[in-house]
Amino acid sequence: MSESMLPLKTVGHATTRIDALERVTGKATYTGDVQLPGMLYARVLRSPYPHARIRAINVSKARALAGVKAIITHENCTVVWGAGSVAGGVQYNDEIKKITKQRRYAFNNPVRFVGEPVAAVAAVNRHVAEEALQLITVDYETLPFVLDQEEALKPGAVQIWPEGNLGLNAKNEALPLGVKRGNVQEGFQTADQVFEDRYSTAFVRNAQMEPRVCVATWDGDKLTVYTPTGGISNCRNDMARDLGIPFENVRVVCKYMGGNFGNKNQNQDADLIAATLAKQAGAPVKLELSRKEDFIGVHGRWPTTHYYKVGVEHDGALKAIQLRGYSGMGPYRKNSGAMAGVELYQCANVETAVHPVYTNRTVSANFRGPEYPQGFFGIQSMMDDVASKLKMDPVDFALKNMARTPVAGAVFTNYSLEECIHRGAEAFEWSKRWRPRPGSDTGPIKRGAGMTFMNFRSGLGRSGAAVRVNSKGQYTLSVGVTDVGAGAKTTMGLIAAEALDVPLSKVDVMWGDTDRCPYSVGESGSRTTIMTGTAVIEAARDLKRQIAEKGLPKGSDVLSASAMPSPAMPQGKVRAAFGAHFVEVEVDVELGHVRVLKYVAVHDCGRLINPLSAKGQISGAAVQGIGMALHEDLLYDRRSGQPLTAGYYGARIMTHLDAPNIEVIFIESDDGYGAYGAKSMGESGIILSPGAVANAIFNAAGLRMKDLPITRDKILGAKA
Amino acid sequence: MPAKSKVSRREFLEGTGVALVAATAAPVIHAQDPDAGPAAIQADPAVPRTTIRVVVNGASHRVEVEDRWTLVELLRDRLGLTGTKIGCDRGECGACTVLLDDKPVYSCSNLAVWADGRAIQTIEGLAREGHLDPLQQAFMDHDAPQCGFCTSGQLMSAKALVTANPHPTADEVRAAMTGNICRCSNYNRYVEAVLAATGKGSAV
Repeated sequence: MSESMLPLKTVGHATTRIDALERVTGKATYTGDVQLPGMLYARVLRSPYPHARIRAINVSKARALAGVKAIITHENCTVVWGAGSVAGGVQYNDEIKKITKQRRYAFNNPVRFVGEPVAAVAAVNRHVAEEALQLITVDYETLPFVLDQEEALKPGAVQIWPEGNLGLNAKNEALPLGVKRGNVQEGFQTADQVFEDRYSTAFVRNAQMEPRVCVATWDGDKLTVYTPTGGISNCRNDMARDLGIPFENVRVVCKYMGGNFGNKNQNQDADLIAATLAKQAGAPVKLELSRKEDFIGVHGRWPTTHYYKVGVEHDGALKAIQLRGYSGMGPYRKNSGAMAGVELYQCANVETAVHPVYTNRTVSANFRGPEYPQGFFGIQSMMDDVASKLKMDPVDFALKNMARTPVAGAVFTNYSLEECIHRGAEAFEWSKRWRPRPGSDTGPIKRGAGMTFMNFRSGLGRSGAAVRVNSKGQYTLSVGVTDVGAGAKTTMGLIAAEALDVPLSKVDVMWGDTDRCPYSVGESGSRTTIMTGTAVIEAARDLKRQIAEKGLPKGSDVLSASAMPSPAMPQGKVRAAFGAHFVEVEVDVELGHVRVLKYVAVHDCGRLINPLSAKGQISGAAVQGIGMALHEDLLYDRRSGQPLTAGYYGARIMTHLDAPNIEVIFIESDDGYGAYGAKSMGESGIILSPGAVANAIFNAAGLRMKDLPITRDKILGAKA
Repeated sequence: MPAKSKVSRREFLEGTGVALVAATAAPVIHAQDPDAGPAAIQADPAVPRTTIRVVVNGASHRVEVEDRWTLVELLRDRLGLTGTKIGCDRGECGACTVLLDDKPVYSCSNLAVWADGRAIQTIEGLAREGHLDPLQQAFMDHDAPQCGFCTSGQLMSAKALVTANPHPTADEVRAAMTGNICRCSNYNRYVEAVLAATGKGSAV
């Protein structure tokens, strides 16, 4: 804890979650546990082809099956799924919806990936619904397809959209994303050495434990949707817009949610399909996705290919950085396809061009730090290689070249990256574990160490909260969070208790229901603690002032306050979370096996609201990142376009036996912004692990592994 | 044999129970008890069915099941024991782990009829006489559940382990629970919690 940070009464003390009992007794109610009277079960028929035009669908046999209550296809359901195609990283709004050339419907024709919805059935039970799917015949005209993001941009490639395979932005322009600063050509000319290389990352899935599920029910023209969503308010607005009904006619409820990792933001096509079936059937409908459907029908992290060119002086100072990148978005642009990382380095001449590319793999979008782990793996592998070729210690190279300011003319509100690196290196015993000569251990089992570092966005923004007090002095806080697993309910309760100056036990937290909670920003982008937390403080302070003026309410009266602040950073100031990861691995170069021996993660996430949960946020994310580094890949068969590893087993998701112990060190700070100085945390831990593991493998084995995941075959291939 | 517990016992209605409670209550944490009650999935008369006897969390049930139902369908949809979760429905993730005659099994990969004459323990039967199992308390204290969706399965695998091996090592815990995936990847906290409940202190 830095000296300037004053300790608080409630915030900052390790606290058992307020809903921990529900979670360990099986009483927590997830969407799949919701049962409504007369509820039907729904199943979705999905495309078996990566690209095909539907000539005809025959549902007559399915409709005749006893117990089938509703069937929808692209012929009788033309609902547009706005959030399914964001168009350039801009939230898909009404204006964009009007002009976009690449509209995504709940059911599309042609179908553009294996797993795309073709029809949906609601029936009296799930067995009848599944049987009905078997009775639907679809006449497909199969079309040629393209899977790889680089191939898709080559001349003569299969065109997935008439406008071509480079993703359109919100103005229907096909442009790569990029920044340009200085003059890279001059930078390379004046550099002492220039290095070029290619890196790639794989298609990994969020794979949250709770598969996609939705229960939709209509009461007249009012729709209630029980759905796992990290943003009930966003989901409500999306549903209203897509279905063409007033937003006050939509209620979204999410009480408990089995993980998010970016896979459950906004609304999903499953929500629209369930709502449409429920309307048609005149009964509540529960749509459940199987695990395989969740892998191929819901989005994952975009796979990337990166070409770097880096110019340096003899002493390691960076002269120029160039990046040309390709991101595989699937056939719809559900997020930007950006690639982060170059901004980590102080360099006068920078040029990046990242191409979001359409492919016939399933859709890519948010996954915990959407554009960060891929980009950071690429650039920090590249820089580790440059340091090695200059015979420099990567820690020295980082300290020499890392950006100490966000952009020209601006400053960070606090800057602890150097401290993160020094503390981490010391705790990790870097000088003992890092090999000055990569691969120098004798024998086939070799050890080595790698490191990565980051600054990461931590901005402010609009969110809401309401709080009231009764005559007994019991407070009720209403926040539109759903608690994806990071502990938001408890965090919000702690912040309210601190601001109200009462114990946490005096605060009930009401959450997860748009009819009862004000707008909250949504649990994505590591924003809830910062933004909704700020709203909680404002509402609580208002209520406290009222109580000071009027005293506690009498009898059945209540006093209440609400806030919807929209704070912005002052000009020239940027908030960032900082961190550094240090990893020691053991590589068996004869078997290709990698084992993580030691892992130290140092983070400045501002002030910790609940240190008990904070540790798990970082260590869990780091383990997910190790999975991305070593295991996970949704492989596709190149000839048939079929996904081959759609499941926990196939994707080799990390297990108890795979997970090393993650030592987490926090450097706390309070820069005076956000809720008591809290900065972003949820995504932080996953960003640095793929690069750190890859760099450690290089240091141990002397093999620069350029393509994730770093599987045994690749290590043996690199050695040969 | 598992005893009845006050914390989690649910009244089971035999026959074609249709007592359905919509889970629409306002989620206020201190007043939240979303007991969905026993749910009924509509039976299909054309489907073969069998009447079985099972002891679930110490209570004996005679229940007619469709032969195609999995054990988790019986538990969740017929008996209303929704604490057991379905994460993959194909024997990969372990979220549906229950104890069948004290041995951990994936209830998605067992048919309900196979449980005839056997004893099943679920998460709802872990607390006894109103007292949490030490594993449950340790899971709370160590913040082991993040999203909580895998937690019931983790607890049942841990319970099977400590019944057979009351003082496991960290490696034994990892081995016994490796069939339970946690995508939040809070594995460190799960192992710590089991070791704390069994008297071995910190993990590593």
